[in-house]
Amino acid sequence: MKTNKRLSAKSILLLLLSMSLVLVTACSKGDSSSSGESGKDENGNYKDKLKISVASTVTVKDGDMDNEFHKYWMDKYNIEWDYNFVEWDSWGEKLRLWINSGDLPDVAVWDYVHGDAMNYIDQGLLYKFPDDWKERWPNVAKAYSLTGLGDKLEELTGGTYILPRPVYFENKPADPLTNQIGVIAIRKDWAEAVNFELKDAYTTSELMEYARLVKEKDPGKVGSKLVPISYKPDDVLTNIMMPNSAHSRVESAFYKGEDGKYKWGPADPETLTGLKLVQEAYKEGLLNPEFYTWKSSEASNNFRVNGTAAVMSLGGLASYRQDVDKDMKKNLNLNSDDVVHTAIVLGEDGKYRNLEQVNFWSALIFSPDISKEKFERVMDLVDFSVTEEGQMILNMGFEGTDWKYGENKELISLLPEGTSVGDKYPGRFEGLYLLGDDFSMINPAIKQEYRDTAVKHYQNKAKFGKEGGALALYDWDVQLYDSKAKNQATFNYAEEYTNLILQDGDLETNWKKWVESKQSLVQPVLDELNNLKK
Amino acid sequence: MKPAALGPTKKPHGRSKFKKLASEIKKNRMTYTLLIPGLVWLIIFAYMPMGGLSLAFKDYKANLGILGSPWVGFENFKYVFRDPTFIDAVWRTLYINIIKLAVTFPVPIILALILNELRMSRMKKAFQTVLTFPHFLSWIIVSGIVINVLAYDGLVNSTLAILGLPTINFLGSESNFIPMILLTDIWKSAGWGAIVYLAAISGIDQDQYESAQIDGATRMQQMFRITLPNIMPTVTIMFILSVGGLMSSGFDQIFNLANAATKNVSEVLDVYIYRITFQSSTDFSFSTAVSLFRSLVNMALLLIADRVAKKMGGDGLFR
Repeated sequence: MKTNKRLSAKSILLLLLSMSLVLVTACSKGDSSSSGESGKDENGNYKDKLKISVASTVTVKDGDMDNEFHKYWMDKYNIEWDYNFVEWDSWGEKLRLWINSGDLPDVAVWDYVHGDAMNYIDQGLLYKFPDDWKERWPNVAKAYSLTGLGDKLEELTGGTYILPRPVYFENKPADPLTNQIGVIAIRKDWAEAVNFELKDAYTTSELMEYARLVKEKDPGKVGSKLVPISYKPDDVLTNIMMPNSAHSRVESAFYKGEDGKYKWGPADPETLTGLKLVQEAYKEGLLNPEFYTWKSSEASNNFRVNGTAAVMSLGGLASYRQDVDKDMKKNLNLNSDDVVHTAIVLGEDGKYRNLEQVNFWSALIFSPDISKEKFERVMDLVDFSVTEEGQMILNMGFEGTDWKYGENKELISLLPEGTSVGDKYPGRFEGLYLLGDDFSMINPAIKQEYRDTAVKHYQNKAKFGKEGGALALYDWDVQLYDSKAKNQATFNYAEEYTNLILQDGDLETNWKKWVESKQSLVQPVLDELNNLKK
Repeated sequence: MKPAALGPTKKPHGRSKFKKLASEIKKNRMTYTLLIPGLVWLIIFAYMPMGGLSLAFKDYKANLGILGSPWVGFENFKYVFRDPTFIDAVWRTLYINIIKLAVTFPVPIILALILNELRMSRMKKAFQTVLTFPHFLSWIIVSGIVINVLAYDGLVNSTLAILGLPTINFLGSESNFIPMILLTDIWKSAGWGAIVYLAAISGIDQDQYESAQIDGATRMQQMFRITLPNIMPTVTIMFILSVGGLMSSGFDQIFNLANAATKNVSEVLDVYIYRITFQSSTDFSFSTAVSLFRSLVNMALLLIADRVAKKMGGDGLFR
């Protein structure tokens, strides 16, 4: 039926008004939780349930959230998580996109880059903490003060925008503290079979000698699948380049030389020494012919999953060693204690090189649009998480169920032999602030032997580093210096070195040409740094 | 049919020109209405974002926005041209794309001519489907297949090893990189590209073929004397458009097939822009300056190609 009824002016106005109201409501942030009240009832429980988005690199698979552990944190803080898993390989990239586009989740773990941090703070892309936060969340403040970076950033920016994550809090394993990287694992049974001596530290040449013996004798009978040294480009940088040139990495490339002038490490002769060793290893077939295509865990999987590698990069945490143990048992039906030996790597001159470890790694950041109530709720959680009780729950599970105190107050795990709290409660991302490195030193769920070995490596690193070593010191002047030139002179060294050793022709000539080609970007940074203190 | 006006005509005055256009639109209002969605799309997604190009001359701050960020003149370009990898990337992009143009551009034309000669329509359709299918695969999938096939332990090298032949380093060889780019590009895009030419071929007046057959022309002669000349305007336009894109190379393809070993031959301008934007400290002004430079060169190339095509007696893009 056709109608010719026309709407009156009033009804059109009303319709438009209601439509605009709908639009305004739909387009507004709709955060009903930004009341700014303490958010707790008379019993101290949180009144409103808050949905909080969080991003971190902890893998959380489907179903991982359905356990007592996650329920505990959600109930305690009356929150519902909107978890965003970030792959290691795209971590920096994804966070950059989120931060710059204003899409940062409420709270995120960020791979701290100083230049970016200064830019973001300058542009208002990160949440500014209230001035009294240290009084309100004293446990966080205590851990924060150990990082060093927090105070330095406050001096530069006049406030707190970032929570650098402390590596060690109560259980520092050595002094000076070195970076955990630079620990390798070798097949102990193969070493014994080819009469290769087991030691706590090897030079690169010694490791290559071992790899040659394995390649020649193939003690594991793995045939053409054998990878004597299973490194990806990043591992090559850590375990061949760095032991020979402490300033060959992006973290330490610009450094103050003995003459007080700033230098660029990749142009040092030590870097050429490292490159020569890498090329030798590649040409002899000790590295895989296509190691440069490997990403994530492809290289280490040859050792721990496929059982086809003689050497892999491991890292210094006891938990890493425990993971190898589990992987080998599961995939190769091998007891890793019988087949794995770990060691640190020295330079060809016998000196030990690594990065001096400042006590932070990555940072916790908040969206500039986070509501006050959500921010406070997360900070309450973080504050509890760094307390002894919080750490015990995060790292051990629940007292009486997953662990107990022994007669001498020692920690006893109640988990089935060979399992960890990670197996029972996977994806424990709630440990947002304090890194697991600290607790892994005393975690009874990790075999005592692995913990002792981890401490031994840290102590050896410190000892060798002090006694004639060449640790790359953490230079706050360089690290906190930010300029367009410095940002432009940031290179992917693992990729650059790989490309150099694969090029045809004389390596030294190619390296010199490469150094020369980078000067238009490097020299302005050196000039700026050298003029810094004038 | 009314013949076109002969002899010199008076150039219409501005006002009368507008009137003529208005009456033209009024007369063909249904056709022009169909133009609106496309026009709106173009304005929103192609012209309005152009305002962002001003970032190339600003020190962009997210909190100040594009309009509020301070002007810095050509400061960003100073940093762009200081970077030797940028200069290298420009030349590399041109080099790869000129080779691509020379090698891959004729392939869809040849393919269309061959497909047009197939008389069994079922076979023709089957071939067309098989050849078009790769277009619908993303470069991530294609590169995954290529890497698996060409790796040291991949299909090709395993076969070579079984046959007792030496294996070939496909993925890490600089000299193999460009042939790999060309081959994969042809495999993925030629079938799809041929559709445009097949459409042009289908528009050819069939009387021409009948006359040629009566005159005793062979099929080869028909192909070269009738089909090819008739699709030349389409070929010219496609060529001009390809030249206009010489500074933009297939990012997905190169990004997914490249690795550290082929860095010196694979970092084209698009990969460079990606690297400086997302893999190092973000500087949108710097990235925009690089993109603007690329667009300007592309536009210059497009205009030159158009002028050359007209000089050679063909049709250009712009009247």
